[in-house]
Amino acid sequence: MLEQVTRLGEYEWEVPKGTVPGMRVPGRFFLSDSLYKSLEAGAMQQLANVATLPGIIRYSMGMPDIHWGYGFPIGGVAAFELDTGVISPGGVGFDINCGVRLLSTPLTLADLGHRRELIETLYQAVPTGVGAKGPLKLSLGDLGDMMVKGAAWPVDQGYGLLEDLDHCEEQGCMAQAQRDAVSAKAKQRGMPQSGTLGAGNHFLEVQVVKEIYDQDAARAYGISPGQICVMIHCGSRGLGHQTCTDHLKVLEGATKRYNIVLPDRQLACAPLSSPEGKAYFGAMAASANYAWANRQMIMHVTRTVFEKMYRIDYESMHLVYDIAHNVAKMEEHSYEGKRITVCVHRKGATRAFGPGSPDLPPGYIKIGQPVIIPGSMGSSSYLLRGTTTAMERTFGSTCHGAGRILSRSAAKKTINGEKVKNSLSREGIIVRAPNDVAIAEEAPGAYKSSAEVVRIVDALGISNLVARLEPLGVIKG
Amino acid sequence: MSYEELDHTADIRLRVRSATSDSLFAETSLAMMQIVYGESRPGTVSQTIELSAENIENLLLDFLSEILFLSEVENIVFSSAVVHITGNSLCARVTGEPFDPERHRGGTEIKGVSYSGLRIVKEDEGYVLDILFDV
Repeated sequence: MLEQVTRLGEYEWEVPKGTVPGMRVPGRFFLSDSLYKSLEAGAMQQLANVATLPGIIRYSMGMPDIHWGYGFPIGGVAAFELDTGVISPGGVGFDINCGVRLLSTPLTLADLGHRRELIETLYQAVPTGVGAKGPLKLSLGDLGDMMVKGAAWPVDQGYGLLEDLDHCEEQGCMAQAQRDAVSAKAKQRGMPQSGTLGAGNHFLEVQVVKEIYDQDAARAYGISPGQICVMIHCGSRGLGHQTCTDHLKVLEGATKRYNIVLPDRQLACAPLSSPEGKAYFGAMAASANYAWANRQMIMHVTRTVFEKMYRIDYESMHLVYDIAHNVAKMEEHSYEGKRITVCVHRKGATRAFGPGSPDLPPGYIKIGQPVIIPGSMGSSSYLLRGTTTAMERTFGSTCHGAGRILSRSAAKKTINGEKVKNSLSREGIIVRAPNDVAIAEEAPGAYKSSAEVVRIVDALGISNLVARLEPLGVIKG
Repeated sequence: MSYEELDHTADIRLRVRSATSDSLFAETSLAMMQIVYGESRPGTVSQTIELSAENIENLLLDFLSEILFLSEVENIVFSSAVVHITGNSLCARVTGEPFDPERHRGGTEIKGVSYSGLRIVKEDEGYVLDILFDV
């Protein structure tokens, strides 16, 4: 598979049509020489598989954090025409609208005393890990409203500020949500879990702004050197997982009904215009809204912890932005000289809309959309901004994180969680997790360098660096 | 339990070997419980699962997804499973203990069971399964 790859430029590579039978467009991906060395054949296979899907336009794309997943590669982006195209849960993933948000505080490093106590308090306040239940007692009606309103639902209940909504992708709500397309099972799983972080690579991290690369953008985003911020990474919990499971089954049947031939069953899909495709899209949007409400709830709890511990106003902590990593969206883009609406799938990729794009709040419209790239545990995270180049080249998309380099089993075998925790502690980074295995699996050595991934997207111009944030303490699920 | 973890960068891929399809299903479900909860003890809380599917692969996926669902909503960590497969239908009795946050937080959440790379092969000595879990 890798021998078919051709190099087009310093950071650009192509998987030609014909690499996998039935490819409708070539595959394109963006990597440096050093990241190319860790590219798996499985990821290339998946990038080529996506190119066989009906209605795909331009390229099947891989961002610089591309790696082997299931269905689409992680870091995969593909856009589909509305009349001939399909929608696939394999291009979104089980964790619908897994995403990340960044909260700024008025504190600086000097103000942040009792750091260990802060991390412990956050760990106790935010339910984390397997089997955790949330702070809300939701009725079925409440859950339905949450799936329709997204982040606005908790804000209406007093768990946030109106300004928070403007600072979310889609204002924290996809209008196409259909609560009835979400199964009773998914709702049963979702009801007790709102406001929970989850497990695996999900985290809440207290960070300090260490470097500013773009003063104007940082000013617009309300970010300054030495400032304390909080990054929250989580998704739609059991509700989203069950929605993917349920609709994958329906779409597998639909794939056969519509005579679509697939190289991987996880790419099960249906035409965007079909009842099955519309039902999945409505259920996915409802799950995405649940995820926005979930991150809003966690941010509310975080604000109240900071408010009490450091005697600062709740209103003085601003949501910089909230973005989705796993989602399919209807967006308008330029294609062959025309503006057309396409369905963009981003699987482990981030929207990176440039200056002047719709959906950006007034304060960000001249700068472009904030792009938040979490680092692996213990390494730097980055704030970037969306660009016109991204609009032209990648359907307004960029990378979503560092990307794994070591499997979880290899990480568990070669990395000792307790040692990682102690070594991070010596660097001044406090880690709180339910077990040391969780720390070993997510250790910095298991991931590509986030610095190298963001360097490439910056050099390509599909998003530009604004600031670097360093971790001070992290809670993991 | 006879399973090994195959290499996969982002997720968990298992190869499970078992003498019969009944025991293959049972052992895979328990391997999955071990990934999510770590070690568990025998228990007395039971659930019955009855399913039919188009083919054996789909039957396995539906069975494992049902175990994940039941485990989460009923708060049970399953530690034994008895499965009877007839054609493309199954009847299973799964038993375990109530979820205890003090003892069952040694694993990681499985978000879903993937069709990617799913393979059930009958060999001379029994069945071999390759399966991928999104974690």
